[in-house]
Amino acid sequence: MRTDPRTSPDLGSALFAILALPAFAALCLLLTAFRLAELLPLNLWWGAVIAPDVTDVGQLLFHHSALPRVAISIVAGAALGLAGTIFQQTLRNPLAEPATVGTAAGANLALGTAATLAPFLLETGRELVAIGGGALATAAVILIAWRRHLSPVSLVLAGLVVSLVCGSASALLVVLDREYMTELFIWQTGSLIQNGTAVVTDLSVKLLIGFALATSLIRPMRILELDDESTRSLGSSPAVLRLAGLIVAVWLSAAVVAAVGVIGFVGLAAPHIAGMLGARTFARRMVVASAGGALLLWFTDQLVQVLPLPEEVPTGTATALIGAPLLLALLPRMRAIMSTQGGSDVASPRHVIRWWMPFAALAATAATIALGLFFARGVDGWHWASGAEIATFLPLRLPRALVALSAGAILAISGTLIQRMTGNPMASPEVLGISSGAAIGVTLLFLIGIELDRTNMVLAATAGALLTLGAIVMMAERTFFSPDHILLAGISLSAMGTGLAALVLASGDPRIDFLLAWLSGSTYRATPGDALTAGCVLLVILAGSPLMTRWLEILPLGQATSIALGIPLKTVRLYILIAAGLSAAVATVFVGPLSFVGLIAPRAADYLGYHRPLPQLFVSAFLGGVTMAVADWLGRTIIFPWQVPVGLLIALIGGPFFLWQVASRR
Amino acid sequence: MVMSLGLAPIAVGDLKGYTQWVDQPTLPDTTLDLGSRGEPSLELLEEVDPDLIIATYGYGLVAGDFERFAPTYGLPLYAEKTAPYLQARRETQRLGERLGREREAETLLFRTERTIDQSRMQLADHKATPLCLFTFFDDRHLRIYGTGSLLQDVMDRLDLRNAWNGETSEWGISTVGVEQLATVGDARLVCLEPIMPHAVRMIRRSSLWQNLPAVRAHPIATIPTLWPFGGLDVAARFASLLADKLVSV
Repeated sequence: MRTDPRTSPDLGSALFAILALPAFAALCLLLTAFRLAELLPLNLWWGAVIAPDVTDVGQLLFHHSALPRVAISIVAGAALGLAGTIFQQTLRNPLAEPATVGTAAGANLALGTAATLAPFLLETGRELVAIGGGALATAAVILIAWRRHLSPVSLVLAGLVVSLVCGSASALLVVLDREYMTELFIWQTGSLIQNGTAVVTDLSVKLLIGFALATSLIRPMRILELDDESTRSLGSSPAVLRLAGLIVAVWLSAAVVAAVGVIGFVGLAAPHIAGMLGARTFARRMVVASAGGALLLWFTDQLVQVLPLPEEVPTGTATALIGAPLLLALLPRMRAIMSTQGGSDVASPRHVIRWWMPFAALAATAATIALGLFFARGVDGWHWASGAEIATFLPLRLPRALVALSAGAILAISGTLIQRMTGNPMASPEVLGISSGAAIGVTLLFLIGIELDRTNMVLAATAGALLTLGAIVMMAERTFFSPDHILLAGISLSAMGTGLAALVLASGDPRIDFLLAWLSGSTYRATPGDALTAGCVLLVILAGSPLMTRWLEILPLGQATSIALGIPLKTVRLYILIAAGLSAAVATVFVGPLSFVGLIAPRAADYLGYHRPLPQLFVSAFLGGVTMAVADWLGRTIIFPWQVPVGLLIALIGGPFFLWQVASRR
Repeated sequence: MVMSLGLAPIAVGDLKGYTQWVDQPTLPDTTLDLGSRGEPSLELLEEVDPDLIIATYGYGLVAGDFERFAPTYGLPLYAEKTAPYLQARRETQRLGERLGREREAETLLFRTERTIDQSRMQLADHKATPLCLFTFFDDRHLRIYGTGSLLQDVMDRLDLRNAWNGETSEWGISTVGVEQLATVGDARLVCLEPIMPHAVRMIRRSSLWQNLPAVRAHPIATIPTLWPFGGLDVAARFASLLADKLVSV
């Protein structure tokens, strides 16, 4: 994908381009020098670099801690910038970077798995483990997006879902084995603190090798700027070229993850900065993006050290927290990034709705609840609850089952509404960032230090979700509700939520158990009141949705058709967005931000052949509710007395299902 | 804490975590696992039908949620920014009254004081060197113990000086980068286990770690696993383990 050709090469901008990077570098240098001068007087610097007197604390820290940290920020930033450029070039996708294509999450999961199951692997093969995981996850993402010709959004969505699944799997590891938890969380926040010079030396060598490999790819990569046909006619195989590029990019990204942890957005931003500075060819972009990435991370790392905060924010979290709003701000200025696909899958057979179907659905729902209520494990193993036991266990199980059922159904409806509204089969409240908004609200509450009781949490989650919704609506208005922009906004919001959560979880505060439980979607604290609330919301939205049938029928046909048929597009989209957003907020409060139900249930209904709005809505609600209820029952019983939060379980089952769906569609 | 009063709980949250992080006093084999600490299984709680539910409420667990199973009892070991050691003494007495084990509670109070006294005498020649207490998170990050932690209180009673006087959270701990250890000068480093083997390997090849004044000055003392957020039993165990370690090297 070429960079935006709008930047005209007049003299002023050329000058700006030439001066921008050195000026930024000078700023970073100044900041760093300022901080280093506090550590060691200027006249001792040279000696401390060449031959430090390690018995002097100042010189020791200068040579073995401060300088390595500056160096690693530059080297890691450059590596990420380079990797991002190669990703964007090989995938012809302006949004590709180590975090968006799943490399970082995959590497992180692999490291976590190794830490819990085979810690000896980490003693010698830490990097191999990271590369293996990163490569697997990236391969999965690319395979899934391949059928869609690696279109930017399908790739980023697949990346997001793969990352979420990897994240859920990591979280499950934590549920089962707490020993390595803090280490894992610190990993996710991307701290640049250095313990000597070994790591940075190592990574520098890798960066040089990566740069050499990338240089050898310059010519072939330029060919990739043509379309596949022309590439073939020039006698090169585009697949082989892309694979070579990807291998280099994945290796570089995984090396960074293995060295310092997950650092987002640098790989995404750096190539775009290069583009803005007028670097057009791949070779120039490679160089400018590496420099830009290096400066970006260097600057961020200096910034977090200067900021007067009680505890230093890890650099990786900082890049996520700064980068996400930046991307949000830039979004309205980006032109439409992809073509919108039609919402329904015409290939599968259409189902006739028969009179008995609603009753069958009700019966199946009832059966699920019965299963959840009566069949469980106790001290003596599996058994059906007998008469007397039911009285004792019913108050414990019923609220959870009902909350799971209602929340699942609400999310499914919300997802259906959003998918039909955007005409994009891969949208959902989770993807839109509404769930992340709720999570950000609760996490902030925790950071501020307000007690996390039920009421506070509900308030914070609702406020967070509504604020997000407001932001999305506002941004959407500016971009005329373009589905692409809404989706990308959601993706950057969820990146921000993840960063913030990782920050709290890495603090090692003894209270994080609770936050962790909520974030991973637990129904543990469901009360009869919750069940009642969730049930009422479900009924209201079920009753209200038929009013929107006509809109939902027409909207997926595209903007032109909708306008031609006399639909007040903006108003209608606003209504639907508010309905979908509010209901998703309620559900998130009860089952956490991690569920995939809003994404999968509408797809599953469509897959079964229910394409018309109302049948899809109801079938999806039914499927969502029942799936959630079954998952909740499973979560309560499979590792009794331990519990797998229902959100995690759904993500682990639903994520792969969704990906398979995406991959198998034509 | 219940164990140190001579009673065994029928079930505890996170049994595996207890053995990993708390270790002693050892729980009897019959103790049941209630599941995670954040979400103890309510159904199992119903089945085992306890006489009393002792927990530290306020961190996600609300006493009211458990009242339908049995009377609840809150055990705030870190509260109102009081000195944890005094708080532990008070809570031990209160728990002793609640459990009808006043005598055992008094004995525990006395025994702990005696252990600390003995350790202090044992350490009479080691007071000059300040200590720095920490746990490894990974090879680059530490949890360091300072003002407001139980371990600090015990060190005060042992007449030992903590070289770390940086800011700490309400639990008396702080997560810091390894380079912060340079600020403690040539203090004696005391590391609480567990230490991950791969972290050990990374630390060994670290040029910063090997050159830290504290690392060059003294061998590192390691203290076997104990729960730094615990009660009097932990205080006594820490005192005697520390004394043994410091004297033996």
